[in-house]
Amino acid sequence: MASSSNMGNETLEEEDEEEVEPEGFDDFTLASSWERFISEIEAVCRLWLADGPKNLLEKGALCLGPQKNLYKVKSELKYGVKMYCLDYYFEISRDGKPSEWNGDLHDMQLSFGVKDFLVIAPLTASGVVLDAPESTKLLSATAIALSNCGSTWPAFVPVHDPSRKAFIGIQNMGTVLTRRFEADHIGSQVPVKLMHLEGLYELFISKFAFSSMDLSTSSLNVYFTMKLTYRTPPDDDDIGMQGIDAEMTESEENHESNIRSKIQWDDDCPWTEWYSAEDPVKGFELSSAWSNKMIKSSSDMAEIENTSSFEAETWLLCPFLFPNLDRGNTVGFASQLRLLVNALHISFEAQFMEDFISVEKHASDASDAVPPPTVLDRVLKDLFHQGAQMSDYSKSEHKNSRTIKGAPLESLFSQFCLHSLWFGTCNIRAVAMLWIEFVREVRWCWEELQPLPKMLKYGSIDLSTCLIHQKLQMLAVCIEKQRQSEDSEPIFQDSVEGEDDFGGNEEGSQLGGSPTHFGMSAGKSDAKRDSQSGLKGPDSPDQIRRGSAGVAGSMMLINSYQRMHAPYTQDPPLMTEDMHEERLRAVEALGNAINFSAQLERDILSSDMSAFKAANPDAVFEDFIRWHSPGDWESSETDKSAGSGLNQLDGLGNDEWPPKGRLSNRMSEKGNSWWQLWNDAPVLPASEQKSLLDPNREGEKILHYLETLRPDQLLEQMVCTAFRASADTLNQTSFGDLKQMTAKIGQLYLTITSSLKPLRGNYLPNKEETIADLRRLCVVFENVEKLLLLAASLHRKLSHAPRLSKAIFTDYFNFYLPKMGTSSVGGDNRKEFDMKQRVAGNEREAIMNMFPPPTANQSWRKVLSMGNLFNGHEPVVREIIFSRRDGASGNHYSTNNPINSSKEIETHRMYICGTSNDLRVTLSVTSSD
Amino acid sequence: MIGDSGVGKSSLLLSFTSDTFEDLSPTIGVDFKVKLVTLGGKKLKLAIWDTAGQERFRTLTSSYYRGAQGVILVYDVTRRDTFTNLADVWAKEIDLYSTNQDCIKMLVGNKVDKESERVVTKKEGIDFAREYGCLFLECSAKTRVNVEQCFEELVLKILDTPSLVAEGSAGGKKNIFKQKPPQTDAASASGCC
Repeated sequence: MASSSNMGNETLEEEDEEEVEPEGFDDFTLASSWERFISEIEAVCRLWLADGPKNLLEKGALCLGPQKNLYKVKSELKYGVKMYCLDYYFEISRDGKPSEWNGDLHDMQLSFGVKDFLVIAPLTASGVVLDAPESTKLLSATAIALSNCGSTWPAFVPVHDPSRKAFIGIQNMGTVLTRRFEADHIGSQVPVKLMHLEGLYELFISKFAFSSMDLSTSSLNVYFTMKLTYRTPPDDDDIGMQGIDAEMTESEENHESNIRSKIQWDDDCPWTEWYSAEDPVKGFELSSAWSNKMIKSSSDMAEIENTSSFEAETWLLCPFLFPNLDRGNTVGFASQLRLLVNALHISFEAQFMEDFISVEKHASDASDAVPPPTVLDRVLKDLFHQGAQMSDYSKSEHKNSRTIKGAPLESLFSQFCLHSLWFGTCNIRAVAMLWIEFVREVRWCWEELQPLPKMLKYGSIDLSTCLIHQKLQMLAVCIEKQRQSEDSEPIFQDSVEGEDDFGGNEEGSQLGGSPTHFGMSAGKSDAKRDSQSGLKGPDSPDQIRRGSAGVAGSMMLINSYQRMHAPYTQDPPLMTEDMHEERLRAVEALGNAINFSAQLERDILSSDMSAFKAANPDAVFEDFIRWHSPGDWESSETDKSAGSGLNQLDGLGNDEWPPKGRLSNRMSEKGNSWWQLWNDAPVLPASEQKSLLDPNREGEKILHYLETLRPDQLLEQMVCTAFRASADTLNQTSFGDLKQMTAKIGQLYLTITSSLKPLRGNYLPNKEETIADLRRLCVVFENVEKLLLLAASLHRKLSHAPRLSKAIFTDYFNFYLPKMGTSSVGGDNRKEFDMKQRVAGNEREAIMNMFPPPTANQSWRKVLSMGNLFNGHEPVVREIIFSRRDGASGNHYSTNNPINSSKEIETHRMYICGTSNDLRVTLSVTSSD
Repeated sequence: MIGDSGVGKSSLLLSFTSDTFEDLSPTIGVDFKVKLVTLGGKKLKLAIWDTAGQERFRTLTSSYYRGAQGVILVYDVTRRDTFTNLADVWAKEIDLYSTNQDCIKMLVGNKVDKESERVVTKKEGIDFAREYGCLFLECSAKTRVNVEQCFEELVLKILDTPSLVAEGSAGGKKNIFKQKPPQTDAASASGCC
C-alpha cells in the first residue's frame, strides 16, 4: 500500500505543478483512476488532520445539535463520472465520558459507539450507494486513504436506500486491530423473537459465539444498557376524567379531534378572553435508563423485561413541543398587533375615519372585509353594557405599564382597542366602523347623562395615559358633574346653616363633644343635612354662614369669637394633556414675562377665598392665610408648629382667643397679589360660584375631538394602548418562578416604551421607519408571547415538580434565545428542541401521574408485545446496547500494542433501537485480522 | 422646583434669572421663567417652573412633573418641617407624577445666610440626598451663594444622561422650548422647579 500512497502523492504534486508548469510531465499510466481517487481522499484527510478541530472551526465548520459540541466539515470528490461527498464529523472538548442517553450524541455516534467519524456518500438525491460492489470499493478506498495518513477515524458508507439507515464501516485501530461496522433496519414484521429482550440477547451472543473459541455462553460477560422512552398518552374521547384529574386531562388535550368537546388547556389563562392558543407542550417523553448491567444468561433478560421503570437508574424528561413553536405565524396578540400596525400605516391616507368606510373607495377586497352587524352589536354591548364602573385600574398592571402612553387595562378605550384587534381582520375599515359606532355610543352616554362604563367617576387625569383616555376620563367627570348639578340643585340653593353662629357656652361644649361630627371628611350628605337644619335664625345677612364643610380644627377667627369653618371648595379643574400644552404655548408666547402668574391659578385662589368668606362671614385676610397657607402665619406661640394646611385637624389646645401672631413679611406687604385677590373676591359659597370647570362646554369639546379625530392620531393611540393592554394581559399569566420570563417581560415593557416614543407627537417625521420599527416590535412581542405560553403550559403541567418546569424552561429559553428576532427568516437549519432533563427521585411521583393507567378501552386497542410496561404503557422506543469486553490477557498481540494493553477492549458492541414493528440493529466488531 | 411654601423657591429662581433678591409675594399656583445659558459649549434654554408650596395647589402642579428632566427639591435650613416634608410629601409626589424614569433630582437647602437659625445640618441634607439619589447643595438666594452652581450642576447632569437629552430634542412637548433660531448646538432643558 505504501507504494500506492507514494504514487498518489506524486500524482497530487504533479497536478499542483501542472498549474504552474502547463508543460509538465504526467504519468497517468502509473495511477489508475481508483488510485487517484484514494489519493484525493487522503489529501483531504491529511488537511483535516493537520488543521485539527480548532482550525476547522475557524474555517467555518458546521455546528450540529443544540449542545454545540459536534461539528462537520465536508469535501466533494470526483471518481469516474460520479461525485462523492466526504463528511468529517468531529467533537471539540467534551468533558468526561459521554453518557449514552443524554441525547447529545449523534445518531452514528450512538449506534456505533464512535466519537469522530467520516462518512462518504455519493452526491445524489438519495445519497445512498446502491450496489454492494460500489460500497465496498468506496469503503476500501477510504480505509486505504486513512491508513496511509495514519488516522484512526472510523469511516462509514451508506448502503441500500436511505430509509433503511444501513451502513457499513471500518476503523483502523492502531497496528493490528480493526473494527468493522454494520447496520441494518427492519421496517416491518419484526420476528417475534426479536421483540423481546431474550431474543435480542441471543442475537448478540450469536455474533461472537461463532468466532469465539469459547462456546460456553455461561462464562460470557455481557454488559447491557437500556433506555426506554415513553410518551404521555394522548387524550381519548371517552376518558371521563374530572376533578383532580382535570388538570392532567387538560395537559394532554391536544388531539384536533377532541378540541370541540373538551375544556381548552388555557381555559383560565388571561388571554383566553381574546384567543385560544395551541398548547405549546403536546406532551412529554420520559426516558428511563439502566446502564452497564452485567448479564449472565438469557433468563436475566426475561427478568429485566418485567422490571418496573421505577427501578431504572435515571429518568429523563423531554417535552414534546408543538412543532411550530419557534417558527410560523400563530394567532396571538402579536399577530393582531401586526395587523393594527398595518392599519396605522394606511391611516395616513385620509382625513377622517369616515373616509375609510365609504364603499366606493374600498370595494370588496377580501383584506378589507368588515364583520357582520351582529358582531358589531356584540362588541358594543360588551363595551358599554358589561361590567360595572371601575374603582381602580392599576391593580393588574406591571410596574412599567405607565411608561407606555396608552389607556390602562380594563378602561373603556383599552377595551375598545383590544376588541379592535380581534374585530374582523383588524383592517382599517373594520377599525373605522367600530370607532364610529364607539363614538356614537359615547355621545349617547353624554347626551343622556349616563355614566361612562369602565371609567372612574371621579379622580384626576393621569397625564401618562393616552389623550383619548384622558378625554374620556374628563368626559366621565363632566357627566358626573352634570348629573349632580341636576340632582342637587334644589338642595344646594338654600344651604344655610346657623348652628354655631352664636358661640358662647354652646361653643365650648361642642368643642370637646363631637369633633368628628363635622370635618373635612364630611361629604355631600353633610351639606344636605346642613340645609335641612334650615334657616335657624340668622339675624343679619353677613352672619349667614354658607357652604361650610365643618369647623377647621380648633382655630378661632381673629376678629370674632367664632370657630373657623373650612369651606367646601371647588375641585381644581381637570386638564387634559392638550390643555396643558395650550397653556404652555401661551406662556411661551408671553416669553420671559416677569410676572407670569397663570389666570387659572388665580381663579382657583379667588374661588377659595370667596368660599372661605361665605363659610366664615366675619373672617379677615389673616384668617384665610392661616387656613390656606399656614406657613405664612407666624404664630407667637412658639411650640405650635406651622400646620399641615387644609387638613389640619388637631383638636387640641389653641382655643385662646384672640389668636396671637402675624402674617409673614412677604404676605403682609400691602399690594401683593394675594391681598388684591382677597379684596376682590365676592362672598360666595362654592356651590354658587361659576364653575372652574364648565362641564357642558368641556363635554361638548371632548365629543368634538372624538368625532373629528384624524385617523392617524386615533391609530397611533390605539397602537400604544393595544401594546400596553396586550402586555398587561399577558403579564397576568401565572407561570411560577421563572426568572428569565419575568426579566423578559420587564424588557418587553421597556422595548415597547422606547419603540412607541415616536408616536407621542402629532407629527411623524419618518413614517416608514417608524412603521418598520413597529413591525420589529411585533416580532419581539411574538417571541415573548410564545415563551410565555410555554412557561404557562409547563407551569400547569409540572406544578408538582416546579424544579423541572424551571429547568425545562431554562433549556428552552437558551435554545430559543438566539433565534429571537429571526423568526421571519425561517431557514432550514432549524432544529427541534430535544433537550432532556434529569428527573430527581422526589419528582418521579409527579411524572408518574402524567401516565394514568390506560382504560380498558385503550388497552384493547393496542397490541402490547414488547413488555417493559410503565403504568400499562408500552415504550414508544426501546434502545439497547449490548457490549462484550475482552481483557487484554490472552491476546497475543497485546504486547505489541501499547494503546490497548492496559485496558479492556470492547470486542463486540450491538446497538438495538426499535419497537415491536420497527427494529434497527447495529454491530461493531473489533478483531485482529 | 418644589418644596414647602415659604422655603424660597421663587427667590432662588429670581436670584438665578435676574441676579436680584427681594421678598416676593407668595406664588399663586405656578410661576415660570426662561433663562438662556451657555454650558459646556452649548447654548441652552432653560424653562423653569416654580410651583407653589401650598397644599391647595398641589393637584394642579402635578402636571408640571410630566416630562420634567430635572426636579429641584428646596427646603429651608431654618425650618425642620420643610425638610421632613420632603420625604413625607414631595419625594412621593415625584414618584407619583413624574413620567420620566431618569429624571434628575436635586436637593437644595436654602437660606444658609441665616446660619445662626439653622436647624437642619448639612450632614442631614447629604444623608437625605444619598438615600433618594439626589444631587445636593446648600445655597442662599439672598447672598447668591451657590445659586448659579445649583442650576448648572443640574443641567450638566441632565446633559450627561443620554435618555434625557434624546427626549429633549425629539419629544413633542419639548419642542416648545426649543430655541427659535435653530442653531446646531441648541439643546433644551426643562425643569419642573
